[in-house]
Amino acid sequence: MESNFPNLPESSENPMPQASSASTQQTPVYPEAVPAETTPAFAPRTDLSHLSRHAEAIRQELGKVIVGQQALAELLLVALLADGHVLLEGVPGVAKTLTAKLLARTLSVPFSRLQFTPDLMPSDVLGTSVFRPNKAEFEFRPGPIFASVVLIDEINRAPAKTQSALFEVMEERQVTQDGTRYTMPTPFVVLATQNPIEQEGTYRLPEAQLDRFLFKLNVGYPSVEEEVSILQGHHTGFGGTPLEAVRAVVSADDLQQLREQVRRQHVEPKLLEYIARLVGQTRAHKGLYLGASPRASLALLNGSKALAALRGRDFVTPEDIQYLAPMVLRHRIQLTPEREMEGGTPDDVVKQILQQIEVPR
Amino acid sequence: MTAVVPSQKILRCWLLPALLLALCSVPLQPAHGQPVTQQAQKSAPHSIPADAAAAPRLRRPDEARLRELRSQRDFRYVEVKSEQGDLSAFFAPFWRWLADILDTPAGNFTWKYGFYAVLVAALVFAVLKIMQVDLTRAFGRAPRQAPLSFDTETEDLHALDLDKLLAQAETEHSYRLAVRLGYLQVLRQLSDKSLIRWQPDKTNHDYLYELPAGPLPEAFRELTRQFEYVWYGEQDDLTADDYERVRATRQAFQRRLTSSRQAA
Repeated sequence: MESNFPNLPESSENPMPQASSASTQQTPVYPEAVPAETTPAFAPRTDLSHLSRHAEAIRQELGKVIVGQQALAELLLVALLADGHVLLEGVPGVAKTLTAKLLARTLSVPFSRLQFTPDLMPSDVLGTSVFRPNKAEFEFRPGPIFASVVLIDEINRAPAKTQSALFEVMEERQVTQDGTRYTMPTPFVVLATQNPIEQEGTYRLPEAQLDRFLFKLNVGYPSVEEEVSILQGHHTGFGGTPLEAVRAVVSADDLQQLREQVRRQHVEPKLLEYIARLVGQTRAHKGLYLGASPRASLALLNGSKALAALRGRDFVTPEDIQYLAPMVLRHRIQLTPEREMEGGTPDDVVKQILQQIEVPR
Repeated sequence: MTAVVPSQKILRCWLLPALLLALCSVPLQPAHGQPVTQQAQKSAPHSIPADAAAAPRLRRPDEARLRELRSQRDFRYVEVKSEQGDLSAFFAPFWRWLADILDTPAGNFTWKYGFYAVLVAALVFAVLKIMQVDLTRAFGRAPRQAPLSFDTETEDLHALDLDKLLAQAETEHSYRLAVRLGYLQVLRQLSDKSLIRWQPDKTNHDYLYELPAGPLPEAFRELTRQFEYVWYGEQDDLTADDYERVRATRQAFQRRLTSSRQAA
């Protein structure tokens, strides 16, 4: 369902926040990075150059194959830094799977891909114990979920039974099989894709599983210019840049260090209250049947910290929270039937809630 | 069932059976003393002999017929005791009163058109409810909204004595707070001069977009950047020199604000 709320706002080097409905004027760009020699007291206290360098390297690698989708790339980076899983939703052919595959290629970590089908069983995902006659014992054979970056394509094609198998591994980063606990490698990121328009042969994801995704990103169509560029690249390059051209530029250790840096970001206490109020309002909104959980608050906090770091700041601002709120909340809330009949969308409600809560300053 | 008035009761009890009996016993032959025509004489095989006896003959209704009539429900004028409950009995006078009122030309008119009016109102209400129109606003009442599960305390920018609070923060060397109060002071000035539209949900950058083109946005951007680094960045260890720089930026902006308004 299309929404009025921008799904993936245009990313830029400078964090231009989205203008509110009241403000339509275009103004000069807000510079984030200020020369340290001019205002030493008002520069980041944490050295974020390492993080910026790696983020830029990943962006460049993705840009070798993917035209446009900068905002999508930025949000995937945010999810990586915030240690969260991502659900990519979009119509066929908008490079959801390709983007996820490319992101995995930029990290030098084990990658696996699962194509979810209606007959998929939990053991096909998690693994199973097989009997070894020569040893006269059972041996656990890990399933494809045992990787650092797991791409689950068409996740909504598997029934609830198989979806439930992902609950433990997505939240606790472990699999319990035959009384034995197997921990997942670090990092562990699930990138799942789903198609919003097909109803036949698909199953709506359980709320418990949706809640485990940090973001739900609606991947839209490219602009005309971007599409022309895609066509040009395909035409002149006889198929475009091969996937093999994309290199791994970030190791698991690097990613772990960057995540540590993100965890140390400053968050003013009033901003914590702001997040709690935003999420709390989803539980009291009359247009919502189901509000967001405290896990949503944590996701919004972690995401905001990662976004601030990517934008060169060592502290979170209300703009970071407002920017990420739709992506964090849209899959965690459920509209009332009346609201749905009116044609409302979760993004509309999130936008309304953002307008109701005072920005702390 | 309505109560029967005594006079009506007597009338129904006696007059109606009597009338029926009278109808049953109407003689088919001509009345006594009337001349009988020749035709009648010819057709009648036996002529009625002249009434020689002057004494009247007492006639009684047929007992069987009377019993039959009495057995009929229509002729049993027994007042049926009401079986209604206490509540119905309590409201019975009201319904009688209402029936009396409606049983008039004006009442009939009201009943007829009032019924249609209520029907139309119900239809309109149903349509509005389906369309999710907030009807509470129409009656000047605040729309229903579930309260937040915790108390929230918000500051009214225009109600605060910012000058006094700012002076106090500077005196106490609470530089971080002073930066915040100074920034709020600037926002209030911009709002008072109608350069921005103060709205609680707007961010600093929203206000930046609202400023008219000219030197103000650039200066406000720098001021905003300093405020964000100090306030959101939790720079509690701000030195006097740092604060002096912020204050200089703010005061320069305020001077520019005043001069630009005067020029305008």
